[in-house]
Amino acid sequence: MAIDTALPQIKGVKDVPYEELFVSGHRTCQGCESALVMRHMVKASGPRTIVLGSTGCMYVANTTYYTTPWVVPWMHTQLGASGSAALGTAAGLKVLMRKGKLKNEKINVIAFCGDGGGADMGLGAISATLTHKEYDCLVLLYDNESYANTDIQLSSMTPYGAVTTFSPSGEKKRLMHTRWKKNVPGMLAAGHPESRYIAAGCAAYAVDLMNKIRRALELGGPTFVHTLDPCPKGWDYHPQYSQELGHLAVECGIWPLYEVVDGVCNLTGPTRQIAEGRKKRKPVIEYLRRQGRFAHFVDEDVEHFQAEVDKMWTDWLIPGVIPFTVPAKDQALLKIDRKPLHEQTKSA
Amino acid sequence: MADEKSISVEVVYRGIFQKTLAQRICRSIVLASRKKGHTGTAFSRYGDSPERNGVPAKQFAIVAVDEIELEASMAKYEPAVVDISVAVDDTLVKGVESWAWYGRQPIWKPIREGGTLLVTSEKTPGEIVAQSDRTPKPYTLGIVPGGASFAGLWVYKDDHTDYRVLGALAKVAPRWLPLEAAKQAALDLAKGDRSAAASVQYGYDATVLRQVGAGEGTDGHEKLQFTKPGWTTMRPGIVVDARKPGQRNPQYKKYTARTQRPVVNFDTCIKCTMCWLDCPDECFEVTPEGHYEVVYEACIGCGICAQVCPVKDCIVMVDELKFADNRDRWQDWKKDRGAYNTWFEKVSGVPADPKAAAPASAAGGDD
Repeated sequence: MAIDTALPQIKGVKDVPYEELFVSGHRTCQGCESALVMRHMVKASGPRTIVLGSTGCMYVANTTYYTTPWVVPWMHTQLGASGSAALGTAAGLKVLMRKGKLKNEKINVIAFCGDGGGADMGLGAISATLTHKEYDCLVLLYDNESYANTDIQLSSMTPYGAVTTFSPSGEKKRLMHTRWKKNVPGMLAAGHPESRYIAAGCAAYAVDLMNKIRRALELGGPTFVHTLDPCPKGWDYHPQYSQELGHLAVECGIWPLYEVVDGVCNLTGPTRQIAEGRKKRKPVIEYLRRQGRFAHFVDEDVEHFQAEVDKMWTDWLIPGVIPFTVPAKDQALLKIDRKPLHEQTKSA
Repeated sequence: MADEKSISVEVVYRGIFQKTLAQRICRSIVLASRKKGHTGTAFSRYGDSPERNGVPAKQFAIVAVDEIELEASMAKYEPAVVDISVAVDDTLVKGVESWAWYGRQPIWKPIREGGTLLVTSEKTPGEIVAQSDRTPKPYTLGIVPGGASFAGLWVYKDDHTDYRVLGALAKVAPRWLPLEAAKQAALDLAKGDRSAAASVQYGYDATVLRQVGAGEGTDGHEKLQFTKPGWTTMRPGIVVDARKPGQRNPQYKKYTARTQRPVVNFDTCIKCTMCWLDCPDECFEVTPEGHYEVVYEACIGCGICAQVCPVKDCIVMVDELKFADNRDRWQDWKKDRGAYNTWFEKVSGVPADPKAAAPASAAGGDD
């Protein structure tokens, strides 16, 4: 039976494939949004997919003790190795097909990693992978903003001020963590112009996320998708509010949804509506007050958080994506002559 | 049993939600026993780590007359037999399945013959026994009045459940935890707050004890037991066969993580797919009419479906102890809608006919 490997864009919720390739019986938390990302990821990519998983919740919770919820082939890889594993697998498949040992057909290679495995340890390997444009592979970073598997330690993706095992709020010092979250998809998009697709998504916008995964696999080459996953365990909220927190992260402007396709940045979903002025950003307090990890915040902390998020929208070159701009006196730099070299007229 | 050299207590709890509570109970047991010159230790079970929200976990407190006896009676990871088991959420009496291959274990399984099971509950002892597996050995059931105390990893809900449980333990194990010592330990933990000692006294006074004889209990729960694969039967590279399409993971079902279950009003369902789409545990299946039914063997009761459902009271979360089995309910609705809706109203407490409901609000989702 021939399997259709085309991955057309999903038009709406009624168009989402019914087939489950990541089935029930995985030891994730109640309301685990990262498990939902895994489910949507393979739903979007279809059965002709190899999934590689670096250490983290989605490895340990899903496949401990000699059991698996995966219908597609899945293999564990080391904590910082998702980029290397994706590249190696894609290269291996390519060679086997060239030598005629495998039928020449499209097989999707997806390697996932958590924020610890991807944004902290594996960043170098992912960066290297995104420069090898002759291999087709997708790296998916599911970001629950901490080392959640080992009971919530600080990662470079933990938001400003949040409580983790490494940053408990104390009587003498209220905030033990005051670094601003790293902008991983923006950084990778800015630094890897040959990667054809880099996106930021959220499982609360399921169709948007599935379409991003499909577009990444369709465009080919090394691609990257980053998802923000509300985590009831580490963020400390009731599991039933996972979707609501995902929506709020986007609507407050904290987590912009976008994709960079062949060097062109498209804002998607509510982020586009906010940028176009069709929707007002919600104040971040709506997002913060729903989570126990921010329970120690006083007004001053909320104001700082709001000011930093505001900066993403007022000061950044591309709101929420490129975190710098030019000084006011150099605004002309943004309007430079964009003609290719051979068409440029000699300036006076 | 006056010549006992040691006593072991396990606390069965909901992972993450009650982690701090279980820690506090185990710590207070050791602290209270030290007031009487005993010694003890409190520890959590290695296999539960990392804990997951709702997945049943265990912590232990072992108390002994001296250090030598303590070391002799210390279990490595999980004591096979305990004197007292404390379930801090009453839905845990439907069984405990903590990880893959573990199976669903009856709540009384590790309790020694004639031991004690304490359950924090607002139910009667009869209702609790009716939901526990049929027991081959007699034990004492104690109901500590109060609902399950749930909190998060960072913010602890200090509702004195720990002190009430300590009071109940003073009632069932006075030799190891005399009431006065328990009160003293509670006062220490609460930094001198007298209400903590009052809660210990309340737990002591209000705990209802009932003898459960051999043969009491239900046979309604699924028997889920596995023969574990040994290293000789595992394949090179520890390869595990992938699941077949349409199959669910048979080695880990996870439904004992559930404290509430979603009940669906198929008559008001608008077939929007949101419950199915947003379920992180793949537990919905589409029916021939395009409705989404819950597969209760896979549902872990997170409540996301009830939150994302755009129709008010179409999916209602209901206390797990109101149900005796995991049978799928869509069949009932298919057979007899009237009877199904009567049943729906009875368990959920909301009207099945939305027109009969109070002023219609725009959408469910907020509470």
